[in-house]
Amino acid sequence: MSVNVFSREVKKGSAELMILALLEGRSRHGYEIGKQIEERSRGAISFQIASLYPMLYRLERRGWIEGRWVEKAGERRRRFYRLTTEGRQVLRRQRSVWHEFVEALDRVAGIKPA
Amino acid sequence: MNWHAYVRERLPEITGDAARDEEIVEEIAQHLAQRYDEARAAGADHARAFDAAVIQLQERATLSRLLREADRPRAMPPSPPPNRSASMLSDLYLDVLYAVRLLRRTPAFTAAAVATLALGIGVTIAIFNVVDAVLIRPAPYPDVDRLVMMWETDSASGTSREPASFPDFLDFKAQSRTTDRIGAFMAIDGNLQPPSGDPMRLAALAVTPEMLEMLGVRATRGRVLSTSDDVPGPPGPVLISERLWRSAYNSAEVIGQSIRINDRPRTVVGIVPTDADFGIVQILRAADYGGGFGTRDSRTRVDVWMPLQGDARRLPRSTHPILLMARLAPGVTSTAAQQELTRIASDLERQYRDDNDKRGIAMQPISQVVFGPVKPPLLVLMVAVGLILVMACANVANLLLTRGTRRLREVAVRSALGAETGRLVRQFVAENVVLAGVGAAVALILAFAVLRTLVAIAPAEIPRIAAVGIDVRTMFVAFACAAVVALAFSLVPVAQAKSAHVAMLLKSEDRVTGGTDARRLRALLVVAEVALAVVLVTGAGLLIRSFWNLLATPPGFDVARTLKAELQLPQSRYPIQNNPMPTSPAIVQFNAALIARALAIPGVQSAAIAANHPLDGGFASSFVIPHREAEAANWPEISIRRVTPSYFETLRIPLLQGRFLEDRDRASMPAGVVINQTVMDRIFPGTDPVGHEIRFWGTSWTIVGVVGAEHVQGVAKEPPIAVYLPLDAVPGNAESLIVRTSRDPSSAASTVRSIIREMDPGLVVSGLEPLSETLSKSLTQQRFLMMLLAAFAFLALVLAAVGIHGVLSCSVAQQRREIGVRMALGADAGRLLRSVMTQGAALTAVGLIVGFALSLALGRFLTGLLFGVTSSDLATLAAVLVVLAAVSAFSIWLPARRAVRVDPLVALKQE
Repeated sequence: MSVNVFSREVKKGSAELMILALLEGRSRHGYEIGKQIEERSRGAISFQIASLYPMLYRLERRGWIEGRWVEKAGERRRRFYRLTTEGRQVLRRQRSVWHEFVEALDRVAGIKPA
Repeated sequence: MNWHAYVRERLPEITGDAARDEEIVEEIAQHLAQRYDEARAAGADHARAFDAAVIQLQERATLSRLLREADRPRAMPPSPPPNRSASMLSDLYLDVLYAVRLLRRTPAFTAAAVATLALGIGVTIAIFNVVDAVLIRPAPYPDVDRLVMMWETDSASGTSREPASFPDFLDFKAQSRTTDRIGAFMAIDGNLQPPSGDPMRLAALAVTPEMLEMLGVRATRGRVLSTSDDVPGPPGPVLISERLWRSAYNSAEVIGQSIRINDRPRTVVGIVPTDADFGIVQILRAADYGGGFGTRDSRTRVDVWMPLQGDARRLPRSTHPILLMARLAPGVTSTAAQQELTRIASDLERQYRDDNDKRGIAMQPISQVVFGPVKPPLLVLMVAVGLILVMACANVANLLLTRGTRRLREVAVRSALGAETGRLVRQFVAENVVLAGVGAAVALILAFAVLRTLVAIAPAEIPRIAAVGIDVRTMFVAFACAAVVALAFSLVPVAQAKSAHVAMLLKSEDRVTGGTDARRLRALLVVAEVALAVVLVTGAGLLIRSFWNLLATPPGFDVARTLKAELQLPQSRYPIQNNPMPTSPAIVQFNAALIARALAIPGVQSAAIAANHPLDGGFASSFVIPHREAEAANWPEISIRRVTPSYFETLRIPLLQGRFLEDRDRASMPAGVVINQTVMDRIFPGTDPVGHEIRFWGTSWTIVGVVGAEHVQGVAKEPPIAVYLPLDAVPGNAESLIVRTSRDPSSAASTVRSIIREMDPGLVVSGLEPLSETLSKSLTQQRFLMMLLAAFAFLALVLAAVGIHGVLSCSVAQQRREIGVRMALGADAGRLLRSVMTQGAALTAVGLIVGFALSLALGRFLTGLLFGVTSSDLATLAAVLVVLAAVSAFSIWLPARRAVRVDPLVALKQE
C-alpha cells in the first residue's frame, strides 16, 4: 500500500474533521480556525488561504457549518462559523471512521505506544 | 494599509456574483490584516509583516479557481455510513439516506437508470394488462369451454361461416343429442323514440331464450325473456341495457312501460348490464354475411334484446338470417358433436335438396371466434415489449456495472479500513433497491398514461378494451422486475473488489473499467441490444410498409369530398311488400325526393342512395348464368349491391364496358344490372358480358354494363364478385345517402341532417361523416398495430444508442492515458478517431448480423399481419440496416470525439 496515496487523502480527509471539531465547542472565524489548527498541531499542520477558505465554503455548501457576519462594538464585522446539527452528526461519524482506521493501523503497524 | 483594495485588485472576479465576491474579498482581507497585525505585534517591521501576510496570496489563479469551485453548488461525495451502528434498522435507515444522497449527486446516472427502468417496465405493464384483460382472462360466459358457434357452410360458394335458416335451427334443436342448448340470434337495426329529444339509432339483438342462458345474461331489474315471449305474433317485450336506461330514460322507472322501437310499441320487462353484449360484435363480424350493425361499425353496443319470434312461414328454409350458438352437453367432446351435427345437416340436405344443397355445419369454439382475430397482433405486441424489457434491463445492467466499477476504489479503501463484506453488500443493495423503487414507481405512472392512450386509440373490435386497467398483480411484477435487476448487479463491485488485490485497485486503471470480465459483459450486452433493436425495427418497418401499401391501394371509388349518411326507414311508415320481389312505393318516393333535395344543396355535385355504402360488405347470393349451370357449383356467392343510377357518377366508379344503370332498368323485364370487373374476369374471361343474363333469387337480370371493382370488404381484401341492381327494383329499409360536393364535405353535414329531419322527423341519421373518414376507420387495427410497433422500435433505437454510447464511453475512459500519450507524441487525431470508432463498429456489426438472422427467423410470425410485403422483404431489411448503422455511428462518434479532445497533459496527470 502506498503511503503517498494515503497521505494526500489523509490530509484532505482530516481537514474536514479538524475544522468541524474546532467548531464543536464554539463558533470561530476563518483566521482563528487556521491559527488553532497550527497551534494545536504544534506546527505540523498548517493551512494557507488557498486551502482554508475553499474548504470552509465547501463545508458551508454541504450544510455542515453555517457562516454569518457578526459586528461587535468597536470592531470591524467578521464572519463567524458554527457547527450545524448535520455537521455534528458528520463529526460523530468521521470520528468513528478515524478511530477505526487508527485501530486498524495499530493492529498492523503498531503505531500506538505500548 | 487598505487590505480590502489589495485583495480586490488581485482577485477581481471570483464567482461572478458581485455580492458574494465582495464577502469573500472582505473575509480574506481580514485574514491578511490579522496576519500582518500579529507579525507587527511580534516585532517585525512593516516590510516583513507585509511579506508574511501577502505570501498567502501568491497563487492567485489557483485560489480564485478553488474559491469559485468551492462556491459552486456541487455536492461533494457524502461520507459513507459507519460500519456498525446501534441496530439493523438504524443501519438500513443510514444506508437508504446515503443511497439517496449518492443518487442525487449523480443526476445524469440516476435519471438515465430511472428513465430506462421506467420505460422498459412501464410499457411492459401497459401491454401486459391489455393482453391479460383481452386474451388471458376467460370470456365471461358460464361454461365457456362448452360454447360453440354453429356456422352453416356452403361448399358451392366456398363460404364456411354462414347464418342458418329458421327451419334448420328448429331441426337441429329437435334432433341433436350432443348439445344441451342451441340458440339463435339476429342483428336488428332500430330507431328508438326516447321520451324527450331526437330519435336515436340503436342496435338490437333478436334472440331465442336459450341465448340469454348460454351468454349468462341476467336482469339487474325486472326479468329476462322467457319461452312464452318467443312466439310468433305481435311485437314481444324487450330488455334494455343499463347504458340506454341511464342515457335515454334518466334511470326513471321503465319496467312495464312501453317504448317505441321502429315505430312499434314494445314493453320493457327487464334491464340488463351494459356489458351483457360481450363478444356479440366480434361474432357478427366473423360471419360471412348477416353481421348487420356488427360489420358496419365495430364500436356498436347492443342496447335492446328482443325475442326472435321466429316463424317458418315468414322465415322459410331458403332464407338464412339467423346465427346459431350451441352448448355441448356435459362430457361430450367437440369431435362427437361435430359428427352428429354433420350427420343431421346431411339428412337435411337429402330431405330439402332445393334449399339445403351442399350446406353443412362447422363448429367453432366461442373463445376462438371472439378472441381469434386479435390474438396475433396482441401476441406480436407482447413479444415486442418483452424485447424492450430485455433491452432496458441490459442498459440498466450496463449503467450499474460502469458505476460499480467506478466505485471500486471506495470499496477497496473501506475494505482496508475494516468494513465487513456484508455491510458493503447491504449498502450497495440499498442503493440499487432505492434506484429500482424509484424506477418502478415512475414505471407505474408511465403505465397508467400509456394504458389510457392505448384504450383511446385502440380499435373498438378488441374485446374488453374499454375496461382495461392496471392490475394490482402487475404492480408487484413491476417492483419485482426492477428489484431483480438491481439486486443482481449490486454484488458486482464488492465481488470485483474482493477478487482483486486492493493495492492494484488503488493504483491501476482497472478500477476505471472493472477488469476484462466486466468489459466483456458490457460488450455482450451491447451486441444483444443492437440485435434486439434490429428485430424490433424490422418488425415495425414491415408493418409500416404494409400500412403504406394499404393506404396506397385504390379502394375502387373516389372518397374525396364525399359525405355519407345512414338511414333506417321503419317498416311501419315504409312498408315493403314481397310480390315475390320486394316493392315499396313509399321508399321509392322518399328516395327520389331525398336525392332531389340533396342536389339542391349549394356545392353538391351529385347524390346517390345505396342499400350499403361502399365500405359495407352487404350480403351475397348464389347465382347461375343460363346454359352454364354446371359451372355455378364452383363459383362463390355474388355480392348484391342495390344502388340508384347516380351511384357510379357520385363515387366516380369507372365504366369499363356497356353503360351505367339508368331509371329505365328498373322497369324493364328482365331488369338491367351492372357487374364489376371481378365478375368479368372470373365468369366472362375474354368475352363481352353485356347482354348476357344472370339469375338469382329466382329472377333473370340482363347485364347492361361492367364497372370497376370496389373494395367493399376493405382495401386489405380483394374486391368480391358483385352485381349492381337498381335500388328501386329491390328496396330495403336500411340505406345510405352519398353526396359529392365541391367543398369540404363536413360543411354539408348539418344541411343533410336538416333536410332528412324536415322530410321525416322520425328518422334517425347516423354515420354522418365524410367517406374518407369511413375509409380511414376501416384501417384502424392495422394503423394501431403499426403505430405501437413503430413506437417500440423508436424506443429500441434509443436504448441501443444509449447502450452503445455507454460502453464506448467506458472504453474511451479506459484508454484515456494511452490516447494522451499518443497525442503528446504527435499522433494524428483523425487516426485516433478512426481507431476508437472501429471498436464500436465491431460491436455494432456483430449485433446487426445476429439481429438480421433473428429477424428472418421470427418474421414468419408476422406474415398474417402483412399486406403486399413478405417478412423477408429486402428493401425493408436494407432500410433497417441504414437506420441502425446511422444510429450506431452517431452513438460511437460522440465518445470518439471526446477521446480525441483529450488534453494530453490532463490525461497523463489523471490520477
